[in-house]
Amino acid sequence: MSGNELTRRLFLRGSGSLAGSAALRATLPGLAALVQAACSARDAGADFVNLGADEARDIEAITARILPTTDTPGAREAGVIWFIDRAVGDFLAPGLPALRSGLDEFNAALTEAYPGSGRFPDLDEADQDAFLATRDDTPLFQLLRVATLMGMFCLPDYGGNHDYVGWKLLGLDPHAHAHTPPFGHYDAEYPREHADGD
Amino acid sequence: MAIESMPAFAHDEAVDFVVVGSGSAGGIIARELTVQGFDVVVFEQGPYRQAEDFSHDEIGVLFSGELLGGAASQLGQTFRDDESKAAGLPESEMEPPAYYARTVGGSSVHFSGNYWRLREIDFRERSVLGPIAGTTFADWPISYDELEPYYTRVDWEIGVSGAPGPFDAPRSRPYPVPPMPIKSSGAILERAAKKLGLHPQPAPVAILSAPHNGRAACVHCGYCMSFGCEVGAKSSTLATMIPEALATGRCELRPLSTVFRLETGKDGRVDEVLYYDADGRERSQKAKAVVLSANGAETPRLLLDSASSAHPDGLANSSGFVGRNLMFNCHSIANGVFERQLNDYKSIQVTRIVHDFYETDPARGFYGGGGIDARPLFSSTPILHAMAGMPPDAPRWGREFKEMLAHDYTRQMSIIGNTTSLPLDRNNVTLDPTYRDRFGRAALRITYRDHDDDLAIAAFLQERALELFDAAGARRSWAYPVHAQRSGAHLLGTCRMGDDPQTSVVDRYHRSHEVQNLFLCDGSSFVTSGRGQPTLTIMALAFRAAEHIAAAARANEI
Repeated sequence: MSGNELTRRLFLRGSGSLAGSAALRATLPGLAALVQAACSARDAGADFVNLGADEARDIEAITARILPTTDTPGAREAGVIWFIDRAVGDFLAPGLPALRSGLDEFNAALTEAYPGSGRFPDLDEADQDAFLATRDDTPLFQLLRVATLMGMFCLPDYGGNHDYVGWKLLGLDPHAHAHTPPFGHYDAEYPREHADGD
Repeated sequence: MAIESMPAFAHDEAVDFVVVGSGSAGGIIARELTVQGFDVVVFEQGPYRQAEDFSHDEIGVLFSGELLGGAASQLGQTFRDDESKAAGLPESEMEPPAYYARTVGGSSVHFSGNYWRLREIDFRERSVLGPIAGTTFADWPISYDELEPYYTRVDWEIGVSGAPGPFDAPRSRPYPVPPMPIKSSGAILERAAKKLGLHPQPAPVAILSAPHNGRAACVHCGYCMSFGCEVGAKSSTLATMIPEALATGRCELRPLSTVFRLETGKDGRVDEVLYYDADGRERSQKAKAVVLSANGAETPRLLLDSASSAHPDGLANSSGFVGRNLMFNCHSIANGVFERQLNDYKSIQVTRIVHDFYETDPARGFYGGGGIDARPLFSSTPILHAMAGMPPDAPRWGREFKEMLAHDYTRQMSIIGNTTSLPLDRNNVTLDPTYRDRFGRAALRITYRDHDDDLAIAAFLQERALELFDAAGARRSWAYPVHAQRSGAHLLGTCRMGDDPQTSVVDRYHRSHEVQNLFLCDGSSFVTSGRGQPTLTIMALAFRAAEHIAAAARANEI
C-alpha cells in the first residue's frame, strides 16, 4: 500500500460518523456543536480542544511548509490547525494514534538531525524545508498533507479556509453560488470564432 | 406538499405493487403505476433528502461518502479481481466496489447527467460482429426502434437538454430544451476535434438549460458530479417522478428501509418482502407483485439472498445468470492545462462530445468503441484537484506546489474516454462467505477484471485524447496508464433480458422467466454495456417495462 493509500485509509475510515445530509445533521447535533465550537474557539483565541499545545505548534508549522505563506495566505492564515484540531476529535479520530506516534518519530529524527535546536517550529524555514524533504514519504507527512489540503479548501464551517483564503487563492469568488456564461476565456471566444466561420 | 397525500398501507394486506428502489428505474415505475391507478409501496434504503438538503460540502460528499451511505469500508461490500482469490474490503475509502447513492432518487441524484441514447448497433452487435470467445456477448431481445418512443418520453418527461448529433440514431421528436451553454472545455474539444477531422457535437444532458415541466433551469453552480442539485435542475427521479407519484395519493415511500429478502408462497409467487426499517427492526410487507429496481448490484444480491428450498441457487436463478456478466464500462482519462483561464469549475461537467469512435472497428484488432467528452473532472472542486488532479511530476508541497495549484485550478480540464465492457461470467455479484454488512447479511462481493479488449479501447481513446490536447495547443498534457477497474458506478448486465430462459433472467418485458409476479428493471437488465452512459437507457427501459406491467395487471395476467 502506498503512503497515499494509507493516508486515505487513516483519514477516511470512520468518517461516515461525521455527517450525512442536512436532514441527517438534524439528528446529529454533534456536528453542529463541532462546527460551532470551531468558530467560537478561534474567535475567542481559546485553547485547542483535542491537540496539546506542543503538538498543535508542531503540526501548524508543518502545514505552513506544505502551503506556505508567500505573497498570498497559506495554511497558517487559513487556520488549517483549527480544522485539524476539530477533525481529530471527530472523523479523523481513527487517525489520531498514528498522528501522535508519527509526531514522536518525527521529533526523534529531528533531535538527531538538529541536536539542541529545539522543536520543528524553532528551525528557520530553510532548515524546516530541508528536514521535511527527508520525511515527506512518511505516513505522518502524507496524513498532514491531506489534512492541510482539506483544511485549506473546506467549507469554513469545518474550522479551516478562514475568511475563504483557500478559495480566494484559486481565484474563486466565495460568495458566488451561481454563475452565468461566458465562464472562461475559451467559451467567451467561441461565439466570435463561429461568427468568423471557424 | 405532495408528501402530505402519502398513504400508509397495511403491512399485512397485499398492496398492488412493491417497488424496491427509488432511483432511475424505480422512481419511474412507481410514478407510472400509481398514475395508472395502482397502489405502490416504494422501498429506499437511503433517507428522503430533498433539494434543500444538498450542500457544496466537498469533504462530506466526495470524501466521506455522504450520499453513498459512508466511506467504502462501511458499506458492506468486498472486492476481488479474480474468482480464485478471497475478496477483501476496498483498498480506497473513496472507491466502493459498487458505487451508488443511497438516497431517494438513487444515483440519478448524484450523477453527472450524460444522456446518450444507445444506437441500433448496440442492440444487435453480436449478430453483426459474431461471437467473441470466452464471453457471453449476445444481442438484446429488443431493438432501438422498440425503445425509441420511451427514449423520447425520458427526453420530455424527465427533461433532457441537447441537440441532435451527426451519428445519432433517428429520433421521433426534438429535444425539449436546447443544449447547455458551452464551457471552455467544450469549446477547446470542439475546436481541436474539427482540426483533426472529427465531428464534435453538443452533449445531451439530463440537466435543464431552460425551465421545463415547472422546474427551474440550471444556475451553473458547478456542484454537479457526485453532488445533489440544490435547485432541482438536475433531472433526477427525485426532482421529477417521485413528486408526481406521491401526488397521486397512491404511493407510499418508505425511506431508510432496506429490503433483504423476498418470500415466495406454495404457488411459487412472491407474496411478501422482508425489510429492515429505519431502526433496524425486521418488518414485512405483503404484495401482489414485486418490481426490483434496486440497481445492478443490489437486485441480484437480493435474489441470491432470497434462496429457499424451492430456489436453492437464489430466486429466479435457474439460468445461473443472476449476478453474472457485470459490466462497469471502461474509462480513460487525459488531462491538459491551458494558457488562459477555463474556469471549468463553473456549470455542469460535459458540454461537448465526440462520437467518431463509437462503433467497433475490426481494423483496430479488438472489440469495442466509445465516446469522448471534455469536462473539468478533478478540477471541479478544489480538494479533489489538489489531491488527485495534478500531474505526476508536480511538487507535492511547498511554494511551487502552492503556486501550481493556484495557477492550474482554473486552467485545467480532462478528456475522458467512455467505452464498452464485454459481458464475462467471471465478472459478477455474489455473496461474500466471510464479511458481513451492518445488518449481519453476507457482504455484497464484487469480482471484476476488465477484459483485455475493454482496456485496449480505453487506451485507444486515451491516445486520441492526448492528440486532441496537442491539436488544442495545451501548454501541457498527461495521462496515467489505463488500469483494470476496482470500482464501478455503472452496474450493468447482472440479470440480463432475453428470450431464452436458459441464458437470461427476465424476458423482453422485464418479467422473471420463472416467477410470474416478479419483475426486474434497472441496469441489471442490460445485455451489452453501451458506450458508457447507461442511465438514459435504464429510464427508457423503465417507462417501457411499466407500460407492459400495468397492461398485464389490468388484464389479470400477473
